Amino acid sequence: MVLVPDGLDKVWRAQRLLLRQRYDECIEICSALLDKNPYDQAVWYLKCRALTMKNYLDDTEIEDEGVAEVLLDDNAIAKLPRPGTSLARPLTGAKSGGASQGVRPVSSSGRPLTGFARPGTMTRPGTQSTDVRGAFAGNRPGTSRPVTGSDRFVRLGTASMLSEPGGPFIAVEKLDLRKYAARPALARVLCDYVIYHDHNPKKSLELCAIATQLAEYKDWWWKARLGKSYYQLGLLREAERQFQSALKNSDMVSVTLELCKCYVRLDQPNTCLDAYARAGTNHPDEPQLELGKARIHDAVNDMAQSVTCYKRVLSIDSSNVEAIACLGAHHFYTDQPEVALRFFRRLLQMGVSSTELWNNVGLSCFYASQYDMCLSCMEKALALANDENMADAWFNIGTIGIGIGDLGLAYQSLKIAVSIEAKHAESFNNLGVLELRKGNVDQARANFQTAASLVPHLFEPFFNGALLAFKLGDFQESFELCTKSLDAYEDHSDSHELLKQLKQHFSTC
Amino acid sequence: MVRTGVSDDEGVLATSADVSSGASADTVVSAAGQKLKQGGTDAAQLNDANSDGAVLPRESINAHIHNLYVRQDFDECLKVIEDAVDKYEGLCEYPIYVKALIKRQTGQIAESLQLFQKATCLNPHNIANLKQVGRSLYLLGKHKAAIDVYEEANRIGVDDWEIYHNAGLCYMYLKAYELAIENFRSANQLHRHDSTYLQLGKVYTLMENYKGAIDVYLEALEFSPENPDILTTIGLLYLRLGENYRAFDFLGNSLTHDPKNPKTILAAGSIIQDHSDMDVALIKYRVAAVHTPNSAQLWNNVGMCFFGKQRFIASIACLKRALYLDPFEWIISYNLGLVHLNTGQYASAFHFFSASVNLKPDFPSSYMYLAITLAKLDDFENSCSAYEKAIEMESDHLFHLNYALTLASNGEFAKARQQYDHAFRIFEGLDDDSKGADMEVVEQFDTLKVALEQSGA
Repeated sequence: MVLVPDGLDKVWRAQRLLLRQRYDECIEICSALLDKNPYDQAVWYLKCRALTMKNYLDDTEIEDEGVAEVLLDDNAIAKLPRPGTSLARPLTGAKSGGASQGVRPVSSSGRPLTGFARPGTMTRPGTQSTDVRGAFAGNRPGTSRPVTGSDRFVRLGTASMLSEPGGPFIAVEKLDLRKYAARPALARVLCDYVIYHDHNPKKSLELCAIATQLAEYKDWWWKARLGKSYYQLGLLREAERQFQSALKNSDMVSVTLELCKCYVRLDQPNTCLDAYARAGTNHPDEPQLELGKARIHDAVNDMAQSVTCYKRVLSIDSSNVEAIACLGAHHFYTDQPEVALRFFRRLLQMGVSSTELWNNVGLSCFYASQYDMCLSCMEKALALANDENMADAWFNIGTIGIGIGDLGLAYQSLKIAVSIEAKHAESFNNLGVLELRKGNVDQARANFQTAASLVPHLFEPFFNGALLAFKLGDFQESFELCTKSLDAYEDHSDSHELLKQLKQHFSTC
Repeated sequence: MVRTGVSDDEGVLATSADVSSGASADTVVSAAGQKLKQGGTDAAQLNDANSDGAVLPRESINAHIHNLYVRQDFDECLKVIEDAVDKYEGLCEYPIYVKALIKRQTGQIAESLQLFQKATCLNPHNIANLKQVGRSLYLLGKHKAAIDVYEEANRIGVDDWEIYHNAGLCYMYLKAYELAIENFRSANQLHRHDSTYLQLGKVYTLMENYKGAIDVYLEALEFSPENPDILTTIGLLYLRLGENYRAFDFLGNSLTHDPKNPKTILAAGSIIQDHSDMDVALIKYRVAAVHTPNSAQLWNNVGMCFFGKQRFIASIACLKRALYLDPFEWIISYNLGLVHLNTGQYASAFHFFSASVNLKPDFPSSYMYLAITLAKLDDFENSCSAYEKAIEMESDHLFHLNYALTLASNGEFAKARQQYDHAFRIFEGLDDDSKGADMEVVEQFDTLKVALEQSGA
């Protein structure tokens, strides 16, 4: 129970609490005041605002796409888009300007690994795996649960309702929206409340529509909220129109960001980039716009462009974690571990501390020949690790073991990685190679098979298996595996060479 | 009485199986004519009746199928074959045979084996069918079964080089090298083929009889002097035997016929590099890099080119990339160690040499360089044991000389004298060419001698 000293105005106190972001206390005072006088508009305003802020979610950021959106995506314009014009069909090969697949590994969606795990980089399946199994697989280890898209709003909504004693604060369904729309200040608060607290885009749409009409279609704020409501309902084209119209009234960064979110969902990366560029001329120092651009370039595999964008982000905002991480990863995979190390160290200086970061620092140290640092960094990474990323750390220790020629360490680390996460395909593949060096052909073969069955996007297990089968004289299996290897990485010259030899075997005599 | 499975060679007319059972080969025409009158339901383009009711034999389609197959028009070919198989209810040998060939070329070997077996059932005496069954078994890795089939084929009595060649391949995979050589030789007596020579040479290489392999390849070269594969293989074998000049001859020859083969370029480049012509080697590697940008060997050689040109940073960058691509290649670690030793980064050099020793413990030079590095890092004891390890494996004047230098600089002049004498004895035993190869060695001998005399040892 919040105590308000005698003589202090309770409304003023609530107002201060709201400003100081102490929402729970603010709500408590407001509830007490409203119990006495339910028609006090000022108090109503404060409580409404506090509830909204409590549940606020920065929705200008990208979000995960749920299973329903991925499987039943009917927004794509072309069934077979040209490379680079769709997020599902990114640029390939030399055009991208980044490291090739032989150097930079790919994530489960078939894209080069990004330096920053953000929603959308992992889930949206590429060309190969848009099937039910792929969508439901869930990309975190230890869980088979996929993200269920807009359901997140629903879940958040129910949670917030439960926590509220005495039922909902505002029964939106019973309100006369027309009456509220006529009072601009209250209407805005109500609108935000409906969107962020109740997660009821249908009602907010109604309110926004009336309010825009009353504002004679000149108020950008109402149009932006209208667009947001449409977006949450999945009506992307309508949302796009509202955002564009809002931008005509007033050029706001947040509206541009939301507009671009629409384009991403509509799978139009190039239009999205245009929108960012247009906003960029009016807001040249806005890091979010540059960051958005960089993300889109990243998603269509245009590494050279995305790197310049990330650099620009850093020149505007020198402590942007995402940009630093991505640049670090880029430099690491383009043979500049020393430069990568500087970026990762910057992250450490900024106070970021996670398994992934320590792991990256350790690997960069290793490739920059700073062996004394590298193992202690990996130890730190292991100390911070949880079930999700411990296997990766052990895998990298295994890589270091191979690098310094300590194959015993490598073997044991990889075994540990596999024991922690039974689905760690990279470890299985490397274990196979180590077994092969020991002369255990059958075990090696089994390891390659396990790795290949776990992840169809890695070419290494397929190629290793194909090569082994070829050497053992089983050309049928070799052929099948080789074809799969080329599916995963079409420019792999060794696979092409092997396939050529196989075809020669098939066609002679 | 229905005749089934008439082979192409005999050229006997045959009709479809639905001819009434009394029809013999002589009554073909009339029987088919009857059938046409009955309705001719299956009168497809395959079996156009002549105006007088005569019917083309079932072989008539074979030429068409053959044409399509040779043109590699597989889809169309398969369509025609399906029609034929439907029509004759599977009793047609050649279409099945071609279908099996097509299946094999698209990588479905198990299916193709079944089809070949079917064809063999239709005509068990056709040696071509048996050969293909054997080939399919070979491709599936069932080498013993394949050999059985080839023996069966040999029993028919027609001498065929392919049978011997393929049987040789199977024996090779079963590691019965003597039998394999015997079979390849028999194949060559019947018919000479590049592929047989290549395989024969491979068997000799597997037996580590390199001279024998070179002889085989040279014989093959008389038969087909412009085969780049053979030329490259000979070049590589000579390289392995240490005869660089002859190796380069053959590799150069191979490059004139196939200038873009990465393997040849790499081998030729390494010889050019050995003669300190770094720029030419780099130009060669540039061609290869387009085809195999992720080849660790290539990057290793490029790195060593830069090392030869004294550009250490570039060299280390290239070698590091090579090591990233293939961490198991000990020689990359070894080279990286050398470069770091040269740039005075002894701690890094130590790590790379130790990695190299871990990956390949039987290369004595690694131990010597490891010892030099340890000496530079002031670890005299371990350095000595590394030298001794190297000397234990192979007695080389360089090992002894470096050991002597290390001992001398640590004040152990008596032992140094001993090693110096060892080194000098081995050095004297060398021919003039290798003596004059490195002037620095001679200089070091002289300075060491002076130092030892001064110390009175």
